[in-house]
Amino acid sequence: MDIKIYENEKIREKLYYKEMESGLKVYFVPKQGYTKQYAIFATDYGSIDNVFIPIGEKDSIEVPEGIAHFLEHKLFEEPEQNIFDKFSKFGGNVNAYTNFNQTAYLFSSTENFYENLQLLVEFVQHPFFTDENVEKEKGIITQEINMYRDNPNWKVFFNCLKAMYNEHPVRIDIAGTVDSIQKINKDLLYKCYNTFYNPSNMVLFVVGDLLFDEIIKVVDKSERKDYKEAEEITRIFPAEPTEVKEKLIEENMMVSIPLFYMGFKDSDCNLIGEEQVKKDFVSNLILDMLFGSSSVFYNDLYEEGLIDSSFGSYFTGKKSYGHSLVVGESKDPKEVYNRIISLIDKPTESILLEKDFNRIKSKGIGEVLMGFNSIEFIANNFIDLYFDDFLLIDYLDLLESIEYKDIIERFKSHFTKDNVVLSIINPLS
Amino acid sequence: MTLKSERMNLGNGVNLNLIKTDKFKSNLLSYYFMRPLSKDEVTKNALLPLVLKRGTDEYTTNLEIQRKLEENYGANLSIAINKRGEKHVLRFTIETVNGGYVGDRDYIYDVIDLLNSIIYNPVLEKGFFKKDYVEQEKENLKRRIEGRINDKRSYALDRCIEEMCKNEKFSIYPLGNINDLEYINEDVLYSHYQDVIRSSPIEIFYVGEYDEKLVEYIKDTKNIKRDNVLNIPREQIISSVSTKNMISEELDVNQGKLVLGYRTGIPYEDRLYNGLVLASDILGGGPNSKLFRNVREKESLAYYISTSVLKYKSIMLIDGGIEFDNFEKTIDIVKEQIEDIKKGNFTDEDIQISKKSIKSSTESIKDSIFLISEFFFSQSLSGDNRSLNQILADLDGVTKEEIKEAMSKVALDTIYFMKNSEKGDK
Repeated sequence: MDIKIYENEKIREKLYYKEMESGLKVYFVPKQGYTKQYAIFATDYGSIDNVFIPIGEKDSIEVPEGIAHFLEHKLFEEPEQNIFDKFSKFGGNVNAYTNFNQTAYLFSSTENFYENLQLLVEFVQHPFFTDENVEKEKGIITQEINMYRDNPNWKVFFNCLKAMYNEHPVRIDIAGTVDSIQKINKDLLYKCYNTFYNPSNMVLFVVGDLLFDEIIKVVDKSERKDYKEAEEITRIFPAEPTEVKEKLIEENMMVSIPLFYMGFKDSDCNLIGEEQVKKDFVSNLILDMLFGSSSVFYNDLYEEGLIDSSFGSYFTGKKSYGHSLVVGESKDPKEVYNRIISLIDKPTESILLEKDFNRIKSKGIGEVLMGFNSIEFIANNFIDLYFDDFLLIDYLDLLESIEYKDIIERFKSHFTKDNVVLSIINPLS
Repeated sequence: MTLKSERMNLGNGVNLNLIKTDKFKSNLLSYYFMRPLSKDEVTKNALLPLVLKRGTDEYTTNLEIQRKLEENYGANLSIAINKRGEKHVLRFTIETVNGGYVGDRDYIYDVIDLLNSIIYNPVLEKGFFKKDYVEQEKENLKRRIEGRINDKRSYALDRCIEEMCKNEKFSIYPLGNINDLEYINEDVLYSHYQDVIRSSPIEIFYVGEYDEKLVEYIKDTKNIKRDNVLNIPREQIISSVSTKNMISEELDVNQGKLVLGYRTGIPYEDRLYNGLVLASDILGGGPNSKLFRNVREKESLAYYISTSVLKYKSIMLIDGGIEFDNFEKTIDIVKEQIEDIKKGNFTDEDIQISKKSIKSSTESIKDSIFLISEFFFSQSLSGDNRSLNQILADLDGVTKEEIKEAMSKVALDTIYFMKNSEKGDK
């Protein structure tokens, strides 16, 4: 068998890889002594892929908001028996998620792994949509949307994205709206499915105390063989201006204290692989140095009662978009905003010290190492990085390679006063 | 891997539990302090860890503590304030990367010192806690208590418990009461702290790699004064429903939150308890359960609806997010499904599936260093000496009759419904 093995001495982990004839890539991290096994079958298709040329057609279409997520729900439908039942019989705990960039189907088990794996591959590769079962799902997803509408953290986050982006579909809610999902029908679902669920656009990742040969045998036995040669998928993204759409967005909800998300929109996009993941690390290190719990800024504002332990920050970036978010609860979000603006206005060398960098990098190394304790961490991060064209096994080495000068360079280009927005949820008066 | 805890009594109500494993890339040390859940001390208990983590005699500010943690490869410090039945539990945990991965085997001693200092050597001012820290954390605690309302699902669950158990200690909210904060200052809190350190039963857990030297180091409690160690009574189990409550709360929400609270009267020591756990799982444990199938998949009434059993208090809760208008319809389906289980209308396959699911999540404990510590702590709380394997075997032995019998003891006590004032009336 044509198997590739990657090894990393420092983290003492291995990664196995094989590409199936169908074009499906299969990866595996062995975890000896672990009770749980975990498999994720994911496609490079998320809520932002809403304008594209369907496979076999010439013209692009724009699909209703929330369709990737709707499709995720519908793949669980089978002609005779619910797929949940089948997994349950083998003791498999099956689930799925859709985010901006991927749709992933996963299960965990402590027994009958290979039987569960077969089910996973089969159900994802066998869509079964009818007018009736599509209609039925609208009720369930409406309740899911309503649940999120009552969630102030979700609201303040999406309002922030809506303020930052003018055109890019990352500003659209992943589940869509109660109205938009009404436009979804089985033909549209098949169109999306056939375009994005080709094995060449997918990856299967497995982690646990298992054998790679067995995994490959099961995949070979259960995957569909009737796929046509993969075509390049044409996804169309609108031109996104560098400028933000609105500087400030406010809403009132049933909360006890204002919530805020401050966003810095990234303009350095279109990176892929190591460059992309490095940018991710560097941006997150900067945020931690500036706003983390060991920063002077955090401790000053905490003591003044302007922020509490809910205060935090992170960067997230993909090929077509990226942003840093500084989030929390405060009695005066606008004051927190002003203080952040005056902080980043100070001379770079005075707010980003090399000794802070070294300390926080060492913390990051510890966090990555500890992350490898968890098969969920391994699986979810593998998938995320894989679609960035980067392998998790090299993650720690990349972090270790980051230097202080990377920090200074990135700070100057990303943290400016022009690309900032503020989203606030205020309590109802 | 068989999980084994070596438990040793260090005297005066302190136990050390050692779980040896080289499976993880980290080591974990946890201290659990147990207090009675009572109106008198709940707020002080909740405030205490927040103040303690602000500074030690050596690292007097949060900033210094955080930097010390970062220097130690991001050692992860966490504190928690929870109720387990009618016990109030304060947890202090530190997790560190195994020294072998960073070429520094001895730094763990440093990290243990830090955790010990946070608990036992707080920064003091005029012999009490620092006034500023106490005042700031009072404000933070107040906001956290007020912030309950932000998460509608857990708020609804809490409210149902509060109403259902309003004459029992179990109704006490573990983060305390805003009105109490007025009377707490650095002096009051410090004297409470001394009480907590002296009289709380303490369980210490270490999970990971260790040698004799490390064990001796953890055991060394020479500076701690201990006396009058509390004997916290087991919670009362009420089996009969005296008054049925129907609570409806109007808030500005898009989705109704329904919570049904049931008395089971089956204590965790009872032979029927495992039957209850299975009955609850068959009813609303997972995507294969009766409620998921009937409320969600068949009627499209909800995105989530699930059942859980509160072990120490023998209460069963069902919660779901629904349209305001579907209130009665949903309750009817729930009642029907419970009747079904009482009558034995479920298959052997249903039982097998539930057993598999519960066993699988129980076994998964072995893969998390934190859950291992929590598992053994929970065993010590309930005085349960069974091994994980024995627990799994006992679950496996539950019969259909026991499941029916357990469900037949379940009685609806309280219905809580959160709705929107305008939409709910139409």
